[in-house]
Amino acid sequence: MVHLPQRCEALVLRLTSYGESDVIVTLFTADHGLQKGFAKSARKSRKRFGAALEPFTKAVFQWKKGRGSFWLLQDSELISSHLGLRSDLHHLALASYGVELVSLLLEEGEPHQIIYELLCSFLDYLEQGGDGLIARLLFELRLIYLLGYMPHLLHCSECLKIFTNEPVRFDAQRGGSLCLDCAGSTGISVDLGTIGSLARSLKVTYRQFDGFLFGPKTLQQAGLILNQVLQQVLPREPKSLKFLSQL
Amino acid sequence: MLGSLPSFARLESELSKLPGIGRKTAARLAFHLLRTSEQDVEALAAALLEMRRNVHFCQCCFHIAEEELCQICSNPARETQSLCVVEEPQDLLAIERSHSYSGLYHVLHGALSPLDGIGPEDLKIPQLLQRLDQEPISEIILATNFTVEGEATALYLGQICKDRGLQVTRLAHGIPSGSDLEYIDAGTVQQAVAGRREFS
Ligand SMILES: [Zn+2]
Ligand SMILES: [Zn+2]
Repeated sequence: MVHLPQRCEALVLRLTSYGESDVIVTLFTADHGLQKGFAKSARKSRKRFGAALEPFTKAVFQWKKGRGSFWLLQDSELISSHLGLRSDLHHLALASYGVELVSLLLEEGEPHQIIYELLCSFLDYLEQGGDGLIARLLFELRLIYLLGYMPHLLHCSECLKIFTNEPVRFDAQRGGSLCLDCAGSTGISVDLGTIGSLARSLKVTYRQFDGFLFGPKTLQQAGLILNQVLQQVLPREPKSLKFLSQL
Repeated sequence: MLGSLPSFARLESELSKLPGIGRKTAARLAFHLLRTSEQDVEALAAALLEMRRNVHFCQCCFHIAEEELCQICSNPARETQSLCVVEEPQDLLAIERSHSYSGLYHVLHGALSPLDGIGPEDLKIPQLLQRLDQEPISEIILATNFTVEGEATALYLGQICKDRGLQVTRLAHGIPSGSDLEYIDAGTVQQAVAGRREFS
């Protein structure tokens, strides 16, 4: 059977050397989700792929179906290198974290148009020198939501009482927010304002990272909430998180 | 088939552990050695062992060495105020081949990689900082690769060195000499334009 070459826009997430000069490329695309591509002789010659084979690069790849689910990459046309990321180590580490979350949480081959756009916008925002803490909060929150892992926020996960002004606790293992009666001694204490901010942030388009303002307390509490949820759904601790903590 | 040739199978299996050598190449090499004189095979085996036993990393810069200090660290003619930081010994050799630098080196044995969780402690960075404390170094040349990992490493070290009041430079990058602009990939051209400098 002859497979005709196809073209597809993709983000390069990761490169793994293979043999003497080949490279296995983890790509993320809107229509085909996560894909493994094979770039023959890519380390010997930069003719076909040039700067396109670098993490965080967005390019149009021409590919043919290879063995199994592999794509045989034939050439590429660079769209953006996201070179701006290379001028700030913290942003570079956050970009790596975003890429790692996507690689860990998505199944290979599942199409995810919106998550693709989310990751592209996240990288664009970081590249332009955006606020790292806000970028991380919004990215984690939206990813959790889009993948269907959203915890209960504005009402108690167990008795479903809608919060108005009372103290709230949060325990991802028990479904999210809890009223004090249901919580007992579990969970962490959070402000209703933090929960409200998270819920409101989801009402904005996923591509927008600009124009958000969160106080330090909100950032801190939201970080704890999202971290709890992620710990429940991630197959392992992201390596980039360990790196971020060393900076 | 090779089950009845255990020695052959064992060599093939050892050879295929080497980087870039698959099963087929390993078999080809094994057949080649089979046709080689016993004396030549013995010389090869001895060379392998001797290299492994005698070559280690320089105690100061972590380049490969057969003595405590490598040939560069023990050479009194090298300038001691410049320190060039590279990822691997091969990178050091590439700069030496260019005859463009006469200072000292420090080999990190890798680069920072957020995605692989490789942090400063996993490289020879603590040892580098110790050298900065103890040696009369005034200029740091960051010669890590122009990959995401190499750039991350340069950012990290650049900040530390600037905080210590050292002069920090990064290797220039862009269009390779002797090449036609029209055949250079867009990413390289982008970097060359961004890094353009005053023409004199
Ligand atoms: Zn309740
Ligand atoms: Zn040395």
